Amino acid sequence: MVGTDSAASLQCRHVTTTGPAPASFGGPADPSDLPEEVLPVRDLGSRTRPGRRSWPAVVVSSAMTVLLLVTLNFLLPRAMPGGPVEAQLSLGTSNPVEVDTRQRLEEYYGLDRSLPAQYWSYLGDLARGDLGLSIRHNVPVTELLLARLPWTVLLVGSAMAVAALVGLIAGIHSGWRRGSLADQGLLAGFMAVSSIPPFFLGSVAVFLFAVKLDWFPLAGARTTFAASSGPLAQVLDVAYHLVLPAAVLALTFLLTLYLVMRSTMVGELGSDYLLLGRAKGLLERRLKYRYAARNALLPVVTELALLLGVAVPIAIFVEEVFAYPGLGRLLAESAFARDYPTMQGCFLLLSLLVVVLNLVADLVNARLDPRVRG
Amino acid sequence: MNGDRAVTDVERAPTRSAPTWRSPLIVAGATIVLGLTLAAVLAPVLAPYDPTAVAGPSLQAPSARHLLGTNDVGQDILSQLVWGTRVSLSVALLAPLLAVVLGVLVGVGAGLVGGMVDRVVTRVLDVLLAVPVLPLLIVVAALVRSGRTVAILAIGLLGWPRLARVVRSQTLTLRRRGFVASAHGFGGGPLYVIRRHLGPALGPLIALRFVDLASVSIFLESGLAFLGLGDPHAVSWGNMLNRALGRQGLYYSPLWAWWVLPAGLAISVAILGFALLLVGLEPVFNPRWRRSR
Repeated sequence: MVGTDSAASLQCRHVTTTGPAPASFGGPADPSDLPEEVLPVRDLGSRTRPGRRSWPAVVVSSAMTVLLLVTLNFLLPRAMPGGPVEAQLSLGTSNPVEVDTRQRLEEYYGLDRSLPAQYWSYLGDLARGDLGLSIRHNVPVTELLLARLPWTVLLVGSAMAVAALVGLIAGIHSGWRRGSLADQGLLAGFMAVSSIPPFFLGSVAVFLFAVKLDWFPLAGARTTFAASSGPLAQVLDVAYHLVLPAAVLALTFLLTLYLVMRSTMVGELGSDYLLLGRAKGLLERRLKYRYAARNALLPVVTELALLLGVAVPIAIFVEEVFAYPGLGRLLAESAFARDYPTMQGCFLLLSLLVVVLNLVADLVNARLDPRVRG
Repeated sequence: MNGDRAVTDVERAPTRSAPTWRSPLIVAGATIVLGLTLAAVLAPVLAPYDPTAVAGPSLQAPSARHLLGTNDVGQDILSQLVWGTRVSLSVALLAPLLAVVLGVLVGVGAGLVGGMVDRVVTRVLDVLLAVPVLPLLIVVAALVRSGRTVAILAIGLLGWPRLARVVRSQTLTLRRRGFVASAHGFGGGPLYVIRRHLGPALGPLIALRFVDLASVSIFLESGLAFLGLGDPHAVSWGNMLNRALGRQGLYYSPLWAWWVLPAGLAISVAILGFALLLVGLEPVFNPRWRRSR
């Protein structure tokens, strides 16, 4: 009885409440359809809003983006004044470079060949996973990237878990008691916090919790000589170092999750199935969590996947503040130190990560949302 | 479905009053933005010292002579804070302007021409939208190594596709509406349609995107400077953060409270000001919002 009831209402929901209202704001893939678009969401991951595109279209579009990124990665350093050789030569040397050296370097890097030939060999190198040698660290860039990637995944993953938990619970409460003091307080609080840029929020967190209160470590991902301790102690050490950076990263996109959950929850409020549930005398708690919250969850799932793509770039700032050894910090460091091969490798990996996450979000959305599934 | 709606309306919590220009959100946001604008314009009058000059001994604690102390080379921090407003606000004005011009041109163009052109533009926008902005900005900033102009250009150029898409879909729906068709029927050319019908309908939408992009631009510009990729000679909030946080042992000295905190708060308040404006203006500008809430 209850099962069919909620299944029917689930079907109904898509027709009545989330169907974009008047024609003037309709149109396919109109981003202003979605509630969170109403509030500021940082456009860093450049979210491809899951419109109603079929999955082959989404895959083709993502593949084109990857091609564009790979090409930009090739063209940008060559289009800039000076070029890669100039940049390398200016590193650490104050003497004017002889013409001879320049020629030999250009030959070495293949820069004397035609642009298409260079592009072709660049693609070949990419396919083999060869991203060149880091100037600063003098090891293959691929090796550096692989060492840094797990930390970024750990940081972004745990931040997302925290943000999901807090954002959803707060959103459910706010939506259910819309307009109440608690609702308005939460809304104002999340808005204020999300206006603080993560590089400053991180610094505040370090100052308060690592320096003044001395609860957490100042920076880094683990204690320097922790490798000598047991496995459990090591895990705890990593978790202990993770708390502050993950919390700061979570706070920066909590607002989005909270708002989506809140507004879809509000959309459920007047539904027939809730009225029926009330008439049957169901507990308020049961109505709130088992009925309304469950039905309101779909847009949130998509939003979660999308936010992962936003979180990866924001993590650059968080990693920099906490000296967390992830990909973002490597990108910032190598950009600052003009270690161009490393910078380009980082850029490529980070942006591919974002594109793939967005693609996954689109595909998940296509799977879950009956309007897209057709 | 109709019965469904009727029940819904009875069940709903009492609706809020119609949104107006005087909502506390707009007042607060406008106050912040106006205050910052005043500070930027009056910087030479307000700032007690030249922000780039050595105004006293280095790393002085706040005192009557230097209300926020001095930095590591003896520059007055309060003066830097006041002058920093100029950088952030100019980026907040110019970068969105560039994005809006490009976005509106492409969006309205594709929406009005339609057909093959529109399909191609839509595909291209989808591809561009998936490009992650921040990593690309970092790479460009690292390669170019120069000042604010590049930041403005890059942020503006990276911000337009989203705007173009929203404008395009709005143009497309407007074009199908009766009043546009009848304007055509009475011999109104495309320019007339744009001036009389599209402009007024798209204006609020574009204004909202502008405000949104303004806060994003402040965030990105100060973020780049924080990473050490801004114009090294500019007096900006991001540069102040970068310089302060790069100092060894900063957290264990009293410096943090008067060097990092003011710059960080200034960035946050500026972003918050535009965010409040956006949230406040949305219901005023968007008729759908009024109906559904």
